[in-house]
Amino acid sequence: MSFALSLLTGVVLGSLAMFVAAWSIWWERKFAARLQSRPGPTEVGPIGLLQPLADGLKLMQKEIIIPRAADKLLFVISPAVAAAGTLALFAVIPWSETVGVAGDLNIGLLWIFAVGALLVLPQWVAGWASNNKYALLGAMRSAAQSVSYEVPLLLSGMVPILLAGSFQMDEIVAAQQGGRWFAFWPPGPGALAFGLFYLCSLAEANRIPFDIPEAESELIGGVTTEHTGMIGVVLQLAEYLHTLVTAAVCATLFFGGWEGPGAWFGMEGFLAEGLHWMVLKTLVLFALVFWIRWSWMRYRSDQLLKICWHYLIPASLALLAVTAIWVRLVEGA
Amino acid sequence: MIPEDVQELYTRLLGEELSFEPELGPLVPSETLLELAGGLKALGFQFLVYCASAHFFAEGEQPEVCMTTYRVRRLGRGTVSVAFHLRVPYGTATPSLVPIWAGADWQEREQFDLVGARFEGHPDLRRIMMPEDWEGHPLRRDYPIDTPHFPWR
Amino acid sequence: MKTLDIGGVSVPAELVKSSWADPWLDIDDYDAESDLMALNMGPQHPSTHGVLRVKLFVDGEICVKCVPYLGYLHRGVEKLCEKLTYVQIPSVVDKNDYVSPMMNELAVCMAFEKLCEIEVPERAQVIRTVVAELQRLASHLLWVGTWGLDMGGAIGGGGTLFLHTFRERELVLDLFEDLTGGRFHYNHHTPGGQRHDLPAGWEASVKQVLTFIEGRLPEYEDMTDNRIFFARTKGVGVIDPVLLMELGVSGPVARASGIDHDLRRDAPYCVYDRVDLRVPVETGGDCYARFLVRMAEMRESIRLVRLLIDSIPPGPVVGAKMVKLPGAVKFKQKEWGSAYSAIESPRGELGTFVIGEPKKASPWRCKIRPPSYHLVSLLPYICPGEMISDIVVILGSLDPILGEVDR
Repeated sequence: MSFALSLLTGVVLGSLAMFVAAWSIWWERKFAARLQSRPGPTEVGPIGLLQPLADGLKLMQKEIIIPRAADKLLFVISPAVAAAGTLALFAVIPWSETVGVAGDLNIGLLWIFAVGALLVLPQWVAGWASNNKYALLGAMRSAAQSVSYEVPLLLSGMVPILLAGSFQMDEIVAAQQGGRWFAFWPPGPGALAFGLFYLCSLAEANRIPFDIPEAESELIGGVTTEHTGMIGVVLQLAEYLHTLVTAAVCATLFFGGWEGPGAWFGMEGFLAEGLHWMVLKTLVLFALVFWIRWSWMRYRSDQLLKICWHYLIPASLALLAVTAIWVRLVEGA
Repeated sequence: MIPEDVQELYTRLLGEELSFEPELGPLVPSETLLELAGGLKALGFQFLVYCASAHFFAEGEQPEVCMTTYRVRRLGRGTVSVAFHLRVPYGTATPSLVPIWAGADWQEREQFDLVGARFEGHPDLRRIMMPEDWEGHPLRRDYPIDTPHFPWR
Repeated sequence: MKTLDIGGVSVPAELVKSSWADPWLDIDDYDAESDLMALNMGPQHPSTHGVLRVKLFVDGEICVKCVPYLGYLHRGVEKLCEKLTYVQIPSVVDKNDYVSPMMNELAVCMAFEKLCEIEVPERAQVIRTVVAELQRLASHLLWVGTWGLDMGGAIGGGGTLFLHTFRERELVLDLFEDLTGGRFHYNHHTPGGQRHDLPAGWEASVKQVLTFIEGRLPEYEDMTDNRIFFARTKGVGVIDPVLLMELGVSGPVARASGIDHDLRRDAPYCVYDRVDLRVPVETGGDCYARFLVRMAEMRESIRLVRLLIDSIPPGPVVGAKMVKLPGAVKFKQKEWGSAYSAIESPRGELGTFVIGEPKKASPWRCKIRPPSYHLVSLLPYICPGEMISDIVVILGSLDPILGEVDR
């Protein structure tokens, strides 16, 4: 029974995630358009709201071109694997006290790290199987970048684990109840950990300023160069979903999950908690990704790796140590 | 206006009886070209503006000729440019100026490709604009503008 | 700062390197152990600014040898010039440097005027200067945006910069549309003057546009005033001034490497001798210096147009004997003659060398000396040793226009 329920929730949430990802493209396009002083999509539906549908229909009609020299099987399945892996990340996110697939998994955050780290594989395979030099270079960059940024991501992700004393997502949220959101409490380490985690997640999800694997001005499309039609869309959608899940994880780990600011003042009900708060936080953090994306240019790959190894890893190590001391001395755990 | 030092160089290398219009520059025999070019560069003419060849038909006793013009410039305030020409029977090689100005490389390749001028001592005299298997040199005057070329037209 | 005197120009000493990359490197000799990958960048590539094909031999991501291939946009303009009359030619050369068509027309018109000894009225001279400076502004605006695309991608911060600069460039194009009826290929200049006189109220709208653009220039500086932009541009693609002189590169690229040379000031044409031109020179030699030079040139262009726009003298815009229809006027050469005239286009020295045939209305040979051709010839010397990402940025910072390279 409980398995069937989880399965049902999983299917519903997975479809919803796809749905949200599709409409967040509309949201991003509108956002970027305002940033660039132009109107953005306006034609399809009211304020262009049906644009993703129109785009989807158009893309479905596109021919899928598979290069003759490509490894056909890997070329076709790698986008699917990427999308499936990203959707699997959604499993452990607790959307509210009751909504969630496996929010009570006792290794919740570990699952996110593990599956997130695996996602470099379909990317790499997609680039390799294309048998295109640009795709290969993109794949190499992607591997180098993901493997490097995995380290500070894990280390800064350890901070909320230390503070909550658990890997379980439910419990991490529970530990933040009463307004003790980890982004604000403990003052200093929490906010820093959020910054580091968010930055590294951007790099993991290949977003500007860290989008060097698909740097379209240098590598044309990087790993996605040869992927056309729906398989290309699925590959890009996987990236999109990765950004979305990143925002959701940040909201869970650092912004109190489903708890609303009403709880700080002792209110109850709608303002204090609920699914809507989690969704709102996720979308705001998601919009922050666009904001960064449409404002900055991109780093060169060696500069990117230098930032990681020279600054982020030492910083996250130090942060972890500081948090451990805080937990030991102040909270007396 | 031709600066004095250039005038001196021209007179020394080309002989005193040689006269030319100041704007256009002198006609230089192939043997003296490299020496003249080297002399100009030593005078501060670091900048090779262009190299242009033109094809002229045979007329009476005159053979078909290829005329090549080089123009060099002294940069900075009060910039001044001087030119010198070479006139050789078409198909005869003239010394390449690549050893003196590195920029002559592509310039001379272009003239070779389009006009058919030959340059001796050029390190890499290949076509640059036209496809490698193109026949003829399009800027020759007897090259019809509507020459058919399979498969293009 | 220590400077060296090279060919009469003083250049910063630290920029002068003893050797450049070898453009004729034999890659078999490079390193037998390593696996070099030949990477064809172009002719269809987002960042080659047209249809340039650059063959890169890369060791990992580091370029070892770079071979540009031209000719994908070769339209035989010089051959066409031999068939067309002097009056028809300006409309053909418009398409050479499609980012600054006014400059192309001006360059050939000035050469023909010199060859056929045609007088240009005072009013036409001033309008030519104003239009040239507006064109320089438009061209540099386009450059800032597209260079942003090279660094930040079409979907990213670069795209934002791009769309903002295009909005401003659009205003300049609107001015040209009012003036000539065309947005891109103006066919405005003709030997002896202009085809069109200024429309009523044009001066006022020019001033309005200038005020608007001047207010927007600091915005681009704000948009690029960040760590990432500096990391991508400062110290990247430093070019030796001696190499620039050797290869015949002039314009903003040369001025960014400390070569204090500008034809507008050093060999004035039109009415540039009447204005006191401030030539921006940077000594960095890197991509950032080229950005600074072009930003300063935009401000300088705005200042020059402001200086001249109110003092356009009355009178005709074409010489007395001119008729506006192409072909109706035939300039005839009396004897063999040749002329060279050069202007400072947004990319450097744009010249036309023309040989006139006696009793003919079309030139015997018309050689166009495009600045971009020389910019592209830099690549084999500066690309080796750079990463692919930097090559894109360096190529963008040179601002070559392939229509002009291939002609």
